Amino acid sequence: MLLQQLADGVATGAIYGALALAIVLVYRASRTLNFAQGELALLGAYVSWQLVAWGVPIWAAVIVSMAALAVLSVAAEKVLVRPLVKRHQALPLIIVTLGLMIAINALIGWAWTYQTKEVPPLFGSGTIDLLGVAVSRQDVGIVLTVLAVAIGLGILFEYTPLGLRMRAAISNPESAELSGISTGRTMSIGWAIAGGVGALAGTLIAPELFLHPGMMAPVLIYAFAAATLGGLDSPPGALVGGIVVGVVENLAGTYLPHGSDFKQVVALVIIVGVLLLRPQGIFGRREVVRV
Amino acid sequence: MSTDVTAAPKARGEAPRRESVAAWLRRPRAPLSPPRWLAITSVVVGAAALVAVPLVNPSYINLTVTLVMIWTIVGLGLNLLVGFGGQVSLGHSAFFAIGAYAVAVGGEAGWGQGLSLLAAAVVPFVVGYVVGLPALRLHGLQLGLVTLALAMATPAAIRALEPLTHGSRGISIDGDPPSWMPLAHDQWVYYLALALAAVAYVITRRLAKGRLGRSFVAVRDAELVAETLGVNVWQTKTRLFATSAAYAGVAGGLYAMLLEFVGPENFNLALSISFVTLIVVGGLASVPGAVLGALFVQYVPTLTSDISAAATGATYGVVLILFAFFLPYGLVGLVRGSLGRLVARIPGRRT
Repeated sequence: MLLQQLADGVATGAIYGALALAIVLVYRASRTLNFAQGELALLGAYVSWQLVAWGVPIWAAVIVSMAALAVLSVAAEKVLVRPLVKRHQALPLIIVTLGLMIAINALIGWAWTYQTKEVPPLFGSGTIDLLGVAVSRQDVGIVLTVLAVAIGLGILFEYTPLGLRMRAAISNPESAELSGISTGRTMSIGWAIAGGVGALAGTLIAPELFLHPGMMAPVLIYAFAAATLGGLDSPPGALVGGIVVGVVENLAGTYLPHGSDFKQVVALVIIVGVLLLRPQGIFGRREVVRV
Repeated sequence: MSTDVTAAPKARGEAPRRESVAAWLRRPRAPLSPPRWLAITSVVVGAAALVAVPLVNPSYINLTVTLVMIWTIVGLGLNLLVGFGGQVSLGHSAFFAIGAYAVAVGGEAGWGQGLSLLAAAVVPFVVGYVVGLPALRLHGLQLGLVTLALAMATPAAIRALEPLTHGSRGISIDGDPPSWMPLAHDQWVYYLALALAAVAYVITRRLAKGRLGRSFVAVRDAELVAETLGVNVWQTKTRLFATSAAYAGVAGGLYAMLLEFVGPENFNLALSISFVTLIVVGGLASVPGAVLGALFVQYVPTLTSDISAAATGATYGVVLILFAFFLPYGLVGLVRGSLGRLVARIPGRRT
């Protein structure tokens, strides 16, 4: 029973981690939180569903959806976010991404109605026996996919010239600009990857939560909790945070009285607790302000 | 409306360089300054009209006007926090819910309506104070994150506190007037809301214009400078958060009395988002903005719901984005910009 809960927790946690990764990439690029990240992922899931409904194989559908969302994210970044980031306006930034979140959600409801849709699991149905625990093929596939994405991004950031430029643009934008790096372009690349990863996460979780317009809002809060826990500027932190949040959420849901209700309070408790005790998260760097 | 407004600056050739429409919309503006006779007349006429409304209208109209006043109270408090204080809250639906449940639980315990409404202000104030304590350590984005999580957790928390709130079954409330009063339920709650909204409006105006309001703005714009000038930043922020929560709580209490029922699903994220839309549309850091914003969130959804179930959300989202970019001072800024010159020309001013 406990092992079963742990396995379920790791699988949902991987999804939270993936979405948290998108949040972290955007935060590193623009120093802002994108409240629309969950709805962008939802849009990705709907694009995948639509393509499958048109007869495209699910694998191809996911790739097309990831590309589409990457493009859309870059557009959102360029048109809506960058002008405000340049003016250092924190409050309008929050208002704009909040507006984007509501608008995308409403447009999804408009285009695809509020009825639930079924997305086929990417890795087929059925279960696999792991150490005496029955784990669904989809769950195993989710964990492996997210791991692969994480390793791929790790290599991109640490071992390629592009990754080096991105890290430079993040850690010291002015010096990076002076050495000929276009910080605007690295910003866009950050948003593009975030959009793609989000679309993947949305498509992967859709078979379990059933695709409907309200699907991603709770996931987004868990992803925010995961990103806060891991450290808002740390990609590995986001993944570890996601797994921890997924496991804690599952255990709380099972073992606490009124568990299914308290589950949703878990995210709030984690966010508040981390921000009070260790605001930079587990892996994040402390922000030092020079007066 | 916007077309004749945008035409105005072009017609006058005063500015040396022609100002773009976007720049004209984004310009900060002074409040309208009508001559004293006009200000007094419009307040008296407006007050008389508001008092007369429930006597001549059917109850469903009274209901919507009462809701406008309830949203106004929330907007006044939230604007103090966000507009004047520069702190974000996406979670005021939580304080609204606490106020509503204070009235509901108070009613069940046999408290009078007056005591229940007082509890609807005090309990959110205390909770807001406790939430505000950590808020002082968080900068804008983090506070937005915490309050968003708070808004999302509110319905679940209400369900989980079942012994007090009766979970999903909700609580019925008796919102009838005292027996000696010759008023129907809708008229009674209307006058209560009108009185409280008027009090809230006057208090907010005093707060915004006085020493406290200036210290809020100082903390918002330059925290370090404010501190060196002797503003207690810590106290200012926590008290501001608590006060703002108390406004939302009173509004929630009135809402519970108006609907005579509360349940967990009344207080979801959409409610919080409509509160944020309210102050952004009305105008951040302006007191009259709360009224214009309240009219917006009450009447625009009834218009858009005819088009589609999704149209309200789409409108809110697009409006939030457009206002953030083009109308940072909200509808109040637009009204001031278009009527400012006209009002300044009205005779009868003492010099």
